Amino acid sequence: MATRKIALDFLDFCEKASEATAIETRFVQTLQSLGYQHIACASHVDPLRPRPGGVSVVNYPTAWLQQYSFGDFARIDPVFFAARALPAPFNWNDYLGKMQLSRAQTRMLAEGASYGLSDGLTIPLRSPDIIPASCSLIAGVDGVDPLSMAETLMIVVYGHGAMHRLLNPGAIAQPVLLPKRERECLALAGTGKSDWVIGEILGVSERTAHNSIERAKKRYGVSNRMQAVIRAMFDGQIIVDDLSG
Amino acid sequence: MIYIVSAENRRRFFNLLTEMHRQRKAVFIDRLRWPLEESAGLEIDCYDSADALYLIEAQADTDAVTASARLLPTTRPHLLSEHFSDLCEEPPPAGANVWEATRFCPAPDTPSGLPRRQALGRMVAGIMETAFLFGVDQVTYVADAALAPMALALGWDARSLGPGRGRGRHKVQAFAARIDGSGLRRVRETFNIREPLIRFVPGDVARAA
Repeated sequence: MATRKIALDFLDFCEKASEATAIETRFVQTLQSLGYQHIACASHVDPLRPRPGGVSVVNYPTAWLQQYSFGDFARIDPVFFAARALPAPFNWNDYLGKMQLSRAQTRMLAEGASYGLSDGLTIPLRSPDIIPASCSLIAGVDGVDPLSMAETLMIVVYGHGAMHRLLNPGAIAQPVLLPKRERECLALAGTGKSDWVIGEILGVSERTAHNSIERAKKRYGVSNRMQAVIRAMFDGQIIVDDLSG
Repeated sequence: MIYIVSAENRRRFFNLLTEMHRQRKAVFIDRLRWPLEESAGLEIDCYDSADALYLIEAQADTDAVTASARLLPTTRPHLLSEHFSDLCEEPPPAGANVWEATRFCPAPDTPSGLPRRQALGRMVAGIMETAFLFGVDQVTYVADAALAPMALALGWDARSLGPGRGRGRHKVQAFAARIDGSGLRRVRETFNIREPLIRFVPGDVARAA
């Protein structure tokens, strides 16, 4: 089938590419050949101020992007909220109507729609750079073959991953692995406990608790314990349940 | 009018096909609670492919989809051979001259009663017209307790392939309908259909237009 070949050729291209920009161009071309017209594959930040190392492939109309950036819509964009809450691809029509939207959010969606940005499909993405990400796709007038959803997912998930890899060559060189004691102390610190209380709970001295947390901070290269807790959560070293007491 | 959508012209019908899968999700999953897969709001199963033949009834002016159905060749795995063979007392009809009709789906906003019966009548007339075009003389289908009596009363020559399974509302039964001129005439008379309903739009011509 032709769409399958298009998707596999794209994956092959990603394997061989050495520049993220080459993948960006090919990513847009490939999705457009399936019938998508507008594409926004990016972290949930202002698209005109992408983060260094963050994937940002957006071909929405420039006038809309300027308005979006000026209005700081990345903070209220209901598509982003839905993408963070839902584990699977979703249609805007199916979910945005069910959300309780503020007046500003409703107005934002209506203004986007006036640029042809409506009836979109959004694929939530796991972004390794802490900021959540997603890829929104809006079909052109001829539509997209409903049977090409699998290929669409392949292209988006693989393409996003490949671009991220090339933009962050050292990203997984040194994964942080917290020893058990540091993990326990950090989780308790995350619930607001003091060094002394942490020591009491774990049956160690206040100084041991303190030093464990200091070592965890150093591993993440951060300067306070709140930052260390947040980083450890994103890493999956501690989970929300650990913090709920 | 009812469009024939095949591998040859489906490029022209992506929007209608997407709407059809969306309606199938609304009807079969949301309303009838059939245990089917959905992805991104569309109901699509392993028999949906470019090689299946779809009949999509749409309003000429607005392109609004009012009903749809799927026709599968019986020379390859299909629902009756893979999932419902226990409904047949003897091997079900199969071959190049036999199709299986599945996923008859009136638009979710079709009122029940007469409008739905009429949608089924028009779709069956469309199935028969299409069958003539492709040289198919038998169509098999599986129907539940709600659909079976309706489908038998359309005027086409349908017979059950076995006593079926389940009871009451949950009963399902397999049928085979003969496709012939007198049957099509009777269906058209029953539903006051005065002209052929199907349209075939070639993929390339439509794109150029």
